[in-house]
Amino acid sequence: MEAEGQARLQLAGVSKTFGAVRVLDDVSLDIAAGEVHALVGQNGSGKSTLIKVLAGFYQADPGATAVIDGAPRELGDPNDIHAAGVRFVHQDLGLVPALSVVDNLALGHGYARSQGMRINWREQRAAARRALAAVGYELDVRRLVDDLQPVERTAVAIARALQSAHGEMSILVLDEPTATMPKGEVQRLVQIVRAVRSRGVGVLYVSHHLEEVFELADRVTVLVDGQRVGTERCSQIDHKKLVTMMTGGVVDDVRRRAVGTRGKTMLSLERLSGAELTGLDLQVRAGEVVGVAGITGSGREEICSLVFGSKPRRGTVTVGDRELPPSRPDRSCRAGLALVPANRLRDGVVIGLNVRENLNITTTRGLAKFSFIRPGLDRRQAAALGTKMSVKAPSLDASIEALSGGNQQKVVLGKWLQTNPSVLLLDEPTQGVDISAKAEIHRLIDDAVSQGLAVLVCSSDEAELERLCDRVVVLREGRAVAEVAAPDIRTRQLIHLSLGLTA
Amino acid sequence: MTTSSTSGPAPGHRAAAPERLERDAPGPDSKNRPAWSAGALRLDRFSGLYLAVVLVVVFSVMLPDTFGTMDNARVIAASSAIAGILTLSVALSMAAGTFDISLAANMTFSICLLGALLTRGDLAWPVAVSLTIVAGALVGAVNAFVITRFGVEAIVATLGMSSVLAALSFWVSDGQTVLISDAGPSFADAGQSTIASVPITVFYLAAVAIALWFVLEHTPFGRYLYAIGSNPQAAKLAGIKVQRLQSLSLMITGALAALAGVILTMQLGAASFGAGAPYLLPAFAATFLGSTQILPGRFNVRGTIVALYLLAIAVKGLQLQFPDLPWIKDLVEGSVLIVAVSITARAISRRSTR
Ligand SMILES: Nc1ncnc2c1ncn2[C@@H]1O[C@H](COP(=O)(O)OP(=O)(O)OP(=O)(O)O)[C@@H](O)[C@H]1O
Ligand SMILES: [Mg+2]
Repeated sequence: MEAEGQARLQLAGVSKTFGAVRVLDDVSLDIAAGEVHALVGQNGSGKSTLIKVLAGFYQADPGATAVIDGAPRELGDPNDIHAAGVRFVHQDLGLVPALSVVDNLALGHGYARSQGMRINWREQRAAARRALAAVGYELDVRRLVDDLQPVERTAVAIARALQSAHGEMSILVLDEPTATMPKGEVQRLVQIVRAVRSRGVGVLYVSHHLEEVFELADRVTVLVDGQRVGTERCSQIDHKKLVTMMTGGVVDDVRRRAVGTRGKTMLSLERLSGAELTGLDLQVRAGEVVGVAGITGSGREEICSLVFGSKPRRGTVTVGDRELPPSRPDRSCRAGLALVPANRLRDGVVIGLNVRENLNITTTRGLAKFSFIRPGLDRRQAAALGTKMSVKAPSLDASIEALSGGNQQKVVLGKWLQTNPSVLLLDEPTQGVDISAKAEIHRLIDDAVSQGLAVLVCSSDEAELERLCDRVVVLREGRAVAEVAAPDIRTRQLIHLSLGLTA
Repeated sequence: MTTSSTSGPAPGHRAAAPERLERDAPGPDSKNRPAWSAGALRLDRFSGLYLAVVLVVVFSVMLPDTFGTMDNARVIAASSAIAGILTLSVALSMAAGTFDISLAANMTFSICLLGALLTRGDLAWPVAVSLTIVAGALVGAVNAFVITRFGVEAIVATLGMSSVLAALSFWVSDGQTVLISDAGPSFADAGQSTIASVPITVFYLAAVAIALWFVLEHTPFGRYLYAIGSNPQAAKLAGIKVQRLQSLSLMITGALAALAGVILTMQLGAASFGAGAPYLLPAFAATFLGSTQILPGRFNVRGTIVALYLLAIAVKGLQLQFPDLPWIKDLVEGSVLIVAVSITARAISRRSTR
C-alpha cells in the first residue's frame, strides 16, 4: 500500500549476512513526505542493522537499492546518503566520546570562523547552546561527550541531526531516541518530530515503547528475525495486534509479587550528596523494591554510581551493617552490592571480551579450581545464563559488539543477577529491551526480590517503576520531593510530581 | 613449545555442552570472519605460521649450506629465546592495558647488577640471580606506583624510568663489561648447555611461555587482565581491582625482563654493559605482530611466539642472503612494527565505527 504524497525514501531488497548468519532478509520500506514511519521488532530483529545499511556503515548484500526523492542513491556510501539529506541519530554511536559537546555538534557541520582560519569559540559555544536549547536541553557544552548521561548524549545527537539540516533534510532516522528518556521529555521530542515532519521531512522512528508509535507514527513496519512481516497504518491496528505481529503471542507483564514480606534494612543512605544530588536519605529493606523517579538533571541519574562508589560522594552508605568506603567499587561488590549501569557501552559490557567472558566476568573466580578456569564449566554457566536471560547471540564466542543493543543489556543484567547480590542497584535496567524480554526481566527481578533481595531502581520509564516498585521516591533538583507507596503508584502521577506539576 | 599450547582451550568441550546459544551458528568465530579467511586454512589466525613455514622452505632451498642446517636452526632458536622472554613480558603488560618501555633498561640494569653481585658481592650464584630478579620486580613495582597512584601516563613514567635505570646501571657497573669467571661451571652450564642438542635457553623460553599462556588464558587473573586492557571502566564496575592487578602485571613484567638479563649473562659468561637496549624494538614489533595471530585482537602468548620466530627466521634468512647489508635487521624489524601496528589500529577503528 502506497502512502499519499511522493515517497521520499524507497529502500528495496535489503539483505545483510554476517558470516553465515542472515540478519536482514529482503527488507523493503518506503517513507512518504511528512510521514512518521515506525520500525519495530524484538531485540536482534535487525532494526539497527537496516539503519546502518542505509547510513553506509555496513555494505548490504548485492541487490539492495535506495531511491531518495526520485533519484537512485549508492547504498554503502555514507557521503552520498548524507548529500541526499538523510540524517541519523544512531542507537549507540555517532558521537565522538573524547570530544566536547561543541566539537561534536560542529562535526559534519563546520566551525564558525572569525577572520581567516581561527575558530570563533564564543560564537561556536553559543551556537551549540542554541542547538541544544532547540531540543529542550541545557548543558555545559564544554563537557566531554564521554561524561554525559545517555539521555544527554541522545539530545546532542538529535541537536546535531537537526542543526546540520537547514531545509535540505529529506529523512530523519531516530534509532531508539527515548530509551533512557523520562516521559515528560518524550513529549518534548514528540513535538520536535511533529515540527520536523510538518516541513515535509520523512521520519523513520525506532522504539520499543509502543505507545509512542501509536502517538506519533502514520505507519509501522514490523521486523521479525530480519524479515518484514508487515507494514500497517497505525489507525488500522491496535496495541495487541502489533504485539502479536512482533512476538507471535501476547505478553502479559503483571505483577505477581505480593507486597509485604520485608526483612531488615539492607541498604541505607544518609545525607548522600554528590553531583546534582543533595542530602538524600533512603532505606531499602530486604525483599523491597524502591524506585527513584525524576527528570533529567534531577539527580536520579547519579544515585546508583554514587552509592556504588564509581563517582565521589559525601554522606554515608551502609549495606547490611557495614559502612562502605567511597570510591571503592570492588569493596562494594564484596559487600554484596551489584550495579547495572546506565551507560552500557562505557560501563556495562567489556568490549574486547566475548559474550561468554562478559557473562562470567563477575563470577570468574568461582569457575576456577586451583586457579584454573574449567573450560566446560565456563561454557555451561555462560550458556545457562544466556538462556535464562534469553540472550540472542550468534554464538558464545562472538564478540560482544555483534549483539544488538537490547541483548547487550540482558548480558549486563545477567552477569549481576548470577552473583546473588544482597542489594541490586538498577540504573535504567530495561533500556532498549523489547517488550517480551522486558516482561521476562521484570519477572526475574520479582523472583529475586521474593527471595530477599533489596532493589534500588532508578528509571526514566515511569511505567516500569509502577510495575516494579513497592515505593517510589521522586526527585527534583537534587532533593526528594515526594514519596509514593504501592498500590498507589501511578505513572501519570509520577510524571506530574517529577515535573513539579500538582498531580 | 607452540604445539603443546595449541591443544589448549575450548575445542574439546564445545560439542559436549547442551547449549541453546550454540545452535544458531556453526563455529566459534563464524560471525566476524572476513570473507578471505573462509575455508579450512583460517588465514586470519594462522597466516604468520604459514608464512614462517614458507620462509623456512624458501631460504633452505636458496641457502642449503648456510640457512638449511641444524646449526642455523639452533642459532635461531637460542638467540630468539632471550628476546622471546622480553617479548612475552611486553605482551603481558600490553594485555593489561599498560605499557612499559623501561623493560630493556631494566634488562640492562639486571645484567649489571648480577655482574656486580657475582664479582664483588661474593654470593653464591643462585642467590645473586634471585636477588636480581627481585630487583627487576621492584622496578616494575615503582613503575606501577607512579602510574597508578599519581596517574602519570605509562609511556612517560617508564621513559623516565629507563633513564634512571641507565644511570643506575652505570653506577653499579662503572660502565664496564665484566667477565664472570668465579661463579663456577654450573653458572655457565645454566646458560650454555644443550639438552638433546637443543640449547637450554629454549627450554627457559618454553617454560615462561607455558606459564604465561596458562595464566593469561586459563586463570581468573588473566581474564581480568584482558578485561582491564579492553575497558578499564567497565572492569572496575564489575568489581575488579584494576589498579592492583595492573601493578601486579607490571611487577611480573619487570621480573621477566630481569630474567631475560640473567639468562643472557649466563649465556655470554659475562655481564655486558648496555646489552638490553637492542632487544627493545624487536620485542615491541613481535608483540604487535603477535596480537594479529592465533587470537587476533588480543595480546596473546601463542601469537607472540609465532611472531617472534617468524621475525627471527625472516631476519636470519635475509642476513645470510645479503651478508653485506648490515642494516637489514633494523629495516625488517622497524617495518614489521609499523605494519603490525597499522593492522591493529585498523581493526580497532573498524570496531569503533560500526
Ligand atoms: N557485526 C556483527 N556481526 C555479527 N552479527 C551481528 C553484527 N551486528 C549485529 N549482528 C546481529 O544482527 C542481529 C540484528 O542486530 P540489530 O542490532 O540490528 O538488532 P536490533 O533490531 O536493532 O535490536 P535492539 O532492539 O536490541 O537494538 C542480532 O542478532 C545481532 O547479533
Ligand atoms: Mg538496535
